[in-house]
Parts: sequence; C-alpha cells; structure tokens
Amino acid sequence: MKKYNYFITMCLVFLLTITNSFAQEKEAKITLTFEKADSLNVCKAFVTSEGQPVIEVPVILSVKRLFSKLPIGDAIATDSTGVATFEFPNDIPSKNGKLTIFANIVDDENYMNSETSGEVNWGTVVVTDNSNVSERSIAAGRDGAPIYFIISSLLVIGLFWGVIIYAVLQVFKIKKLGKIQE
Amino acid sequence: MSEEKNIPESTKYETFTQKEYMIMKDDLLRPIEKTGIGGKIWIAFLTAVFFAGVVAYYLQESRGKSVTTGLSDYTMWGVYISNFLFLVALSLSSVFMSAILKLTHFEWYRPLSRIADVISLSSISMAGICIMISMGRPDRLHYLFLHGRIQSPIVWDIIVVITYFVACVLMLFVALIPSLSTCKNHLHNLPKWQLKMYDILSFGWKGTAEQWKILKRTVFILTVLVIPLGIALRTVSAWLFSTTLRPEWDSTNFGAYFVSGSALLTVAVMIIAVYAFRKIYSLQSYLTNMHFDKMGQAMVLMGLIYAYFNINEYLVPAYKMSGLHANHLLNLFVGENALFYWLVVLFGIVVPSVLPMFKKLRKPFPLTLIAVAVLIAGWFKFYLIVIPGLSHPLLPVQDVPASWSHYTPSLIEMSIVSATIAGTMLLVTLFSKYFPIISVWEVAEGKLEGKEEIINYK
Repeated sequence: MKKYNYFITMCLVFLLTITNSFAQEKEAKITLTFEKADSLNVCKAFVTSEGQPVIEVPVILSVKRLFSKLPIGDAIATDSTGVATFEFPNDIPSKNGKLTIFANIVDDENYMNSETSGEVNWGTVVVTDNSNVSERSIAAGRDGAPIYFIISSLLVIGLFWGVIIYAVLQVFKIKKLGKIQE
Repeated sequence: MSEEKNIPESTKYETFTQKEYMIMKDDLLRPIEKTGIGGKIWIAFLTAVFFAGVVAYYLQESRGKSVTTGLSDYTMWGVYISNFLFLVALSLSSVFMSAILKLTHFEWYRPLSRIADVISLSSISMAGICIMISMGRPDRLHYLFLHGRIQSPIVWDIIVVITYFVACVLMLFVALIPSLSTCKNHLHNLPKWQLKMYDILSFGWKGTAEQWKILKRTVFILTVLVIPLGIALRTVSAWLFSTTLRPEWDSTNFGAYFVSGSALLTVAVMIIAVYAFRKIYSLQSYLTNMHFDKMGQAMVLMGLIYAYFNINEYLVPAYKMSGLHANHLLNLFVGENALFYWLVVLFGIVVPSVLPMFKKLRKPFPLTLIAVAVLIAGWFKFYLIVIPGLSHPLLPVQDVPASWSHYTPSLIEMSIVSATIAGTMLLVTLFSKYFPIISVWEVAEGKLEGKEEIINYK
C-alpha cells in the first residue's frame, strides 16, 4: 500500500488545485448601454460581480456579421467605476440599420467567461441598385450576353467552321473524282 | 554541308528522276515495314507510363482530389494547368514550323511539315485531356456546352481547342492522302487490315490532275486557316489568366507573350523530333544538317522575340514595383522561387537566344541538347506562371491552414502529367509506324524544278 502513497497524494494535490482555481473564478455580469455624444457613437459596458463594479477586467466588443463576430478594436479594461467605454464606428454596413453588438469577457483570471448583447440602430444602411440586373452585359448570365457579343462570336466561329466544312467537302470531292476515274 | 552549299539551288535537283523518286519512296516508307526491338521497347515504355497515368487518374477520381493531389483552395490550378499550357504551346508546331514556312516559301519546310503536324495533333489531343483531368467534376464536362456562358474565356477555350483539334486532323489527313495511296501501292509485307486501312483512308486517290488541284487548294486553305486559329488558341489560353484580376496575370502583354513562348518551344520540340527521326529511321538524306542550321537560326530569332516579351512582362512592372506586383516579382527575383526563376530565364531565354548564334552549335547534336534544355525550362516556365500567382488569396481570409500557401504536386499528379507527355510521344511514334513521317510528295515536289510535274510521279 505504501508504494501508492505518493500517487494518491499527487492526485489529491491535483484535485485540490483544480477545485481551488475554479473557486477563484466569479461570475461577472455585463450591462451594455449605448449613447450618442456629439457625432460619436459611444458604447459602455458596465461590469458587476455580486452587485459590485469590477475594475480592470478586459472587455471585448464585437458586432455580428453574416458568419461570425467582427471585433471592434482591441479589448478595453473597465475603469474604477467598472465601465469600459468604446467608441463605436459609424460606418458598419447593415441591411436595416440595426446592429447586434456583443460584449465579452474571455479567459480572465478572476472571472468566468461572460457575454451580453444589445441591438442598436447605428448601422449604415446599404442601398443596392439592382435595376440593371436584367440588362444584357458581359457579367450577366448565359441568357444575358450582349447581342453584339453573341453575333460577333457566332461570326468568328461560323467563319472558321465554314472553312473546315468546305475542306471536308473537298476531301469527298477528291473521292468522287477517284470513282469517276474508275 | 559545305559541298551542298556550293551547288546552286536551280541546278541541284533538275536531274531528279522517276528512279530517284522510287529510291526516296523506299527510304521514306521503310520505317513502316520494320520495327526494331528498340522501337518496340520504346512503344511499350510509353504505353506503360500512359497506363500508369490512367490508373493514377482512376485513383484521383475514386479517392477525391483533396486526398490525392496537392491542390487546395489557393492553388486550385496546379501542374495540370501548367502542363496544359505547355502542351498547347507545342501544338502550335503546325503554325510555326509548317504553315508559316509554307506560305512564305521557305522550301526547307517540306520534310518537316508532317512531323510538325503530327506533334500539333498529338499535343492538342493531350492538352484537351488535361482540361478534363483538372476539372473538379469531370462528370459535368458536358455542362460547359449546356450551361456555358459565351462571355466566359473558359468557353472560348473549349471552342478554340475543339476547332483547332479538328483543323489539325484535317491538315494532317488531307496532305496525307497521296502518301496513303503510295503506302497502299508500294507496301506489301504488312497485315491485311493495315493495307485495308490505307485503301479506305486514301479516299479513292488516283493522282489525277483534277485531284491534285483540289488537294493543293485544300491544303493551302487549311494552311492559311491554321495560322489565325493557332494564334487564337494560344491567345485564349493566355486570356484564361489575363482576364482575371490577379496582379500576377493582370497584363495586356499576356497573349503575345504566350504566343512568342510557344514559337520558341515549337522550334525546340521540332529540333528534338527531327533529330530522333533522322537517327532512328536513318533519314539523314532528307533531314539534313541544313535543317538544323535553319532551325538553330529560327531558335535565335524566336528566343530574342520571347526575351523581348519577357522584358515587357517582368521588367516594366518591376520598374514600378507597385503594391501587389512587388510581392510576386520579388518572390521570383530574390525570394522563394528565385533560383528556379533564374534557371528558367537562363535555359529558357538566354541559352536559345545566344548559343545557336554560333555555327558549331547549330550542328544536330549540340542543337538538340540546347533544345532539350529549352523544352524543360519551357515546362517549368508555365509552372512559374501558374503556381506562384495562386499562392495567396485575392481577399484576406482568416484561419487559413499554412499548407495552403505552398503547393507541391503529388505523385498522382506527376504520374498523370507524365502520362500526358508520354501520350503525346506515343501518338507521334505510333503515327510514324503506320504512316510516312516525311511527306513523300511534298519532298518530291520540292526536288522537281517544274513543281506541277508531281502529278507524273506515282
């Protein structure tokens, strides 16, 4: 039994370390607020834990795009009041002007991962003019090729294939002449 | 050579008689009757390499390209496309080493024209196969015809490859008709099916004045046709690249650059083919030192033209060294591919432009060695055009595996590429075993003072 003592001690130490490290991570709550200061869009992330503001915790701000989240600048740490202040760009494209903004705490030593999101009307509406989609153009589909393009292509192809067909007919003419000779 | 030079051209062949014609005919038809052990081994070797490629292709398609090839999201065109460009370059042999010489009355074209035509047909056949091999879904090949857009360079390429292939078949076949009749009448120690084949393919050729008239007119028309068609083929192959927005290929020079490179490679491949046929089939009397001298001079000319287009292609953007061009050019000049690039410049441009200027190096053996170097450098040149141009994406992409920015062809890819090259050589070899590799009537016509007399020589 003695020979297992070392192993059992090590396992206990390991388990204790893991329990201890988890015990240190506390839950943090992020509250997002959106403000307009002059022409600037300001986004504030207020971080609290057990009802108290949390200082010097890095918060990552991101905005939802089609497939994933686009980070907005680097992570900013909360100040003495527990607030991380971000200047939000005003040129992020959006279909209807609305953007979903996320604030995250990731891999912090003292706090567990946390995420919150909010919707705000700060997006730049992208206006697309699709009125020319049905027009004939080089970039159009098979049925939308420009008429001049179709005609000139067919003329070139017809010219070459016309000569080829003429040459084939000449070969058969040679054969015909051979038969007459017989 | 010096003795030949002392005889004035006008008096040289005036004594060419029917008897001499018969001797010539025997010389040129001999390779069809006899195949030595060396020839059989050569054919077996090429067939084995070709079928190894067929097996490799089966593995590629059954296991999937992502497993069997080095292709990735970045380098989606690997050696298959660079090899396609190489084979298309060789397929212009008919244009540069036959049609242009014929139309401009360079009489030394006569024994070379059929060799050039066969190389053209064989390479364009294999180039066509290369397109299919490189397709992600070859089972959808017919979609190119059903759903292709006429505005797309890929569709132009398919159209021009097919048209050029048909023109090459015709060009070769029409000029072959009198030779097929000659084979039918003069070769007897052959299997029955072979004699029957000559009979069918000679299309009732009797050698009448009317038939000769039609044949010569048709050959002339096809000769004229094949020049713009060949140049269109090569230019459209270049447009596959230059119509994209990739900075490495975004060049208005690309079409002419590709055509000039092709001209040089056709001279090189012809030198090698002429050397091989002359040695193996003992055709020294027909493929003379004079032909090598002329081809050596042609190589210098084509090499210098190619050098000119290379200067335009690389040094003009290098003078500006703007943004994305700089990435590519510095990679070639002093970067990862520098050694590779400068070797290709040395053997693919400098050597053919300079060495054949010396008369001693225009002798058959040294010139053939030069041609081999030029041809190998030519293959790698297309590799350098296609692959480094694809090694980075047009738009930034996150979390890309590091392996995507490097491309190394797999064994399967190299087996298939080897098979296409072996296939080209196999087609040329097999042709020379069943048909006269030198056009009997064209050489005879060249030897006659009054060119129309050819109709009396049967």
